[in-house]
Amino acid sequence: MLEMLLGLSLFSIVGLIAAFYMAWNIGANDLANSMGDVVGAKALTMRQVIILAGIMNFLGAVLLGSRVTSTIGKGIIPISDMDPHMAALGALSALIAAGIWVTIATYFNLPVSTSHSIVGAMLGFGLVSVIMGNIQMGDISWKVLLQIAFGWVLSPVAGMVLGYLIFSAVRLSFIERAENIGKLEGVFRYLLICSSCYQAFSFGSNDVANAIGPVSVVMGTLGEEVPIGLLVFGGIGIVIGLSTWGYRVIYTIGEKITELTPTRGFSADIACASTVIMCSSLGLPVSTTHVLVGATIGVGLARGLQAVNLNVIRNIVYSWLLTVPVATVVAMVVYLGLIWLGL
Amino acid sequence: MRRYIRSVETLYAKSPFNLIYEHIQKGNEAVHKLEDLVQAFCDKDVDRVNAISDVVSDLEHDADQIKQGVRERLPTSVLIPLSRQDVLTFLRLQDSIPDSARDVAKSMTLREAYDIPTDLKESFMKLAKKTIEIIDEYEKLVDKMGPILATSFRDRDVEKALELIPPVERLEHEIDILGLEIGKKIYASEDQIGAVGIYHFNDVIQNMSEISNAAARAADSLRTMIYPK
Repeated sequence: MLEMLLGLSLFSIVGLIAAFYMAWNIGANDLANSMGDVVGAKALTMRQVIILAGIMNFLGAVLLGSRVTSTIGKGIIPISDMDPHMAALGALSALIAAGIWVTIATYFNLPVSTSHSIVGAMLGFGLVSVIMGNIQMGDISWKVLLQIAFGWVLSPVAGMVLGYLIFSAVRLSFIERAENIGKLEGVFRYLLICSSCYQAFSFGSNDVANAIGPVSVVMGTLGEEVPIGLLVFGGIGIVIGLSTWGYRVIYTIGEKITELTPTRGFSADIACASTVIMCSSLGLPVSTTHVLVGATIGVGLARGLQAVNLNVIRNIVYSWLLTVPVATVVAMVVYLGLIWLGL
Repeated sequence: MRRYIRSVETLYAKSPFNLIYEHIQKGNEAVHKLEDLVQAFCDKDVDRVNAISDVVSDLEHDADQIKQGVRERLPTSVLIPLSRQDVLTFLRLQDSIPDSARDVAKSMTLREAYDIPTDLKESFMKLAKKTIEIIDEYEKLVDKMGPILATSFRDRDVEKALELIPPVERLEHEIDILGLEIGKKIYASEDQIGAVGIYHFNDVIQNMSEISNAAARAADSLRTMIYPK
């Protein structure tokens, strides 16, 4: 182990630490947010949630995480055309910048998403590369960036539409027909466990890339395939985040959303997870939290919730408008700083 | 210390509906005081009338506070499973119940005690009891909002609630008739209570009839609110 670590460059070690921090953040916040309903409905205990969500998220990351990882690692910036050292330094800067911004934004309760941060930060890395003359402006994949941006707008909308449709279907086929609502919700309590697992799986498939996309560039290991070891590493980081910090978020949410009964939580989970899986398959990094918000609003539109605060939509728009430019600028500053230091 | 947490908890706004039950509970409590109040009034027990009137007034104030709370929970940015306008209209009508109960109590305290014919006393007490009955029925109706919300407006639950509206309307009609009878008796009692007495007693009765009117109107607006669209 030590030899393996010693075999790594200083860059790689710093990169892994930064990636671990991002993964921890994702587990502590984004994954935890999605698990509030299952704890709130008392379908699972906290310990069970952490174990189950951890395993499923890990599987999602390892089995389906490579596409989004490729998008973030090499889809935006043409790293193969660059000097490997400059590429590694740039990706490391992006990762550090995203980590810094996510930390600050979370601390000040600003709307933020890890996906937006890392994409913005990779763009910062690209812009500095253009300034340095390492690549041309046209080499940055604006098309991919545009697709990602569309994904950011469309994914919460898709989550909302699916949430509305799925809950309406559940309402018509089960709630309307049920003799005993309590019994029905009891059955759905078990289904909620399944839907939460599906959701944890989907989150793993999309979010792990935010942590390991850049570090795979740092380590120079991003060829055709994303190394499985890195996906495992990211998956573990997320699970540690969930178990060391995420339980606070789960408790907060779980207590707050007693209204999100099993039928409703199930509908929101399926809608959210399906949207996220779709995006992961397309290689689109999306904010899983935004999709979750969209899906929940969809359930609310189908009369599933007593009161939904639509101001959250404003926060989502702010996070698009705020996070991307800020993360871009921070990454540029970090990258230029590291270059200036002669690294 | 700041919580280092990003959560979607702000998505879940406080439900205005729990407060709507609390509001009618206060209203019901105020209306339930009418029995003792009428008894004290008929007994010419001025101190007791004043004391109960103060209690009713406090309950009305509490109801007002709760009503304010409901409004605060209904900014346009909050999505609820009903029309916001319907809910606000309904709430305004329901708020007339504690308001009218207070008006009854206040109007009783306005004038010195006077002798009331036994027959009129009995009818008066009957009116108070019927008024309590209609509010109890009305509260049952409002309680149905719970299951309706819990099942996301399942047809069956909406129908169960709609079935509770006609009894309220029937009681209101009965109270109207009773009010008319009492009105006649009041005018027939000029010798005992005098012209000013007629004026005062009529005022009290009018205020009491307002309670059942309010319940019927609120029930009707609840129908508009939950009726399948």
